[in-house]
Amino acid sequence: MDSLIPFTTSGSLVDCVDRKMLVVLRDGRKLQGVLRSYDQFANLVLEDTVERIYHQDVFAELKRGLFLIRGENVVLLGEIDLDQEDDVPLRQVDWETLEPYHRQDVAAKKHREDIKAQVLFERKGFCKEGGEGDGY
Amino acid sequence: MLPLSLLNAAQNKPMLVELKNGETFNGHLVNCDNFMNITLREVYQTNAEGDRFWKLKECYIRGSTIKYLRVPDPLLDAVKEEQKMARELGRSARGSHVSGSGNRGGRGAPQRGGRGGMVRGGPTRGGRGRGRGA
Repeated sequence: MDSLIPFTTSGSLVDCVDRKMLVVLRDGRKLQGVLRSYDQFANLVLEDTVERIYHQDVFAELKRGLFLIRGENVVLLGEIDLDQEDDVPLRQVDWETLEPYHRQDVAAKKHREDIKAQVLFERKGFCKEGGEGDGY
Repeated sequence: MLPLSLLNAAQNKPMLVELKNGETFNGHLVNCDNFMNITLREVYQTNAEGDRFWKLKECYIRGSTIKYLRVPDPLLDAVKEEQKMARELGRSARGSHVSGSGNRGGRGAPQRGGRGGMVRGGPTRGGRGRGRGA
């Protein structure tokens, strides 16, 4: 049965429509919402979207509403198991409380990646370009 | 309903556009095309850090620079409703045309059903197979 559907964006995403999905963007943002539509570029329409940030074992979320995401920026799309999502051992806190910590994490990660890129460039002959804006 | 038809339906609606570089543009959609190129009017531009703002009368954004667009929640339902209406309108228009030409429409339906049955049952193919086996 599966083999009847070719491995294309459209073939892979039909089963995800009207499901609650997690979308990770290239800038590192994590969005959860109901997938309502998509096309061959993986442009996505997400309804009732919330953005989530994490720090250690806590998370915070903010309602963002209806999104149209340009496919290029999508890193991954994963289905959220509604039966299991409440069992995840994470604690929710206010966005305002967590945001500074999250911002620190992002900055620290960027710093590490910059150092890594610099080392690869100087010692291993890698090029310098590429990966701009990638934070996932 | 494809993502780009949602964008098309968002004309004259307020929206927030975030570019890949993090800048955001808040304004009303004037026009868009299939490349996701858009023009906005009465725009508030914000830099990536969110600490500087500009007001623009009108601006054009190349589709390839966009990260995402945020549109008003009710838009999705509005588009669905609109498409349903358009479909029903199309069906009723076609329906009246067929009934106007008398019993031709009536004959067409069973004919089509009969053809489907032949293909599905494949009696000719089955018969040949049995013959070869014996």
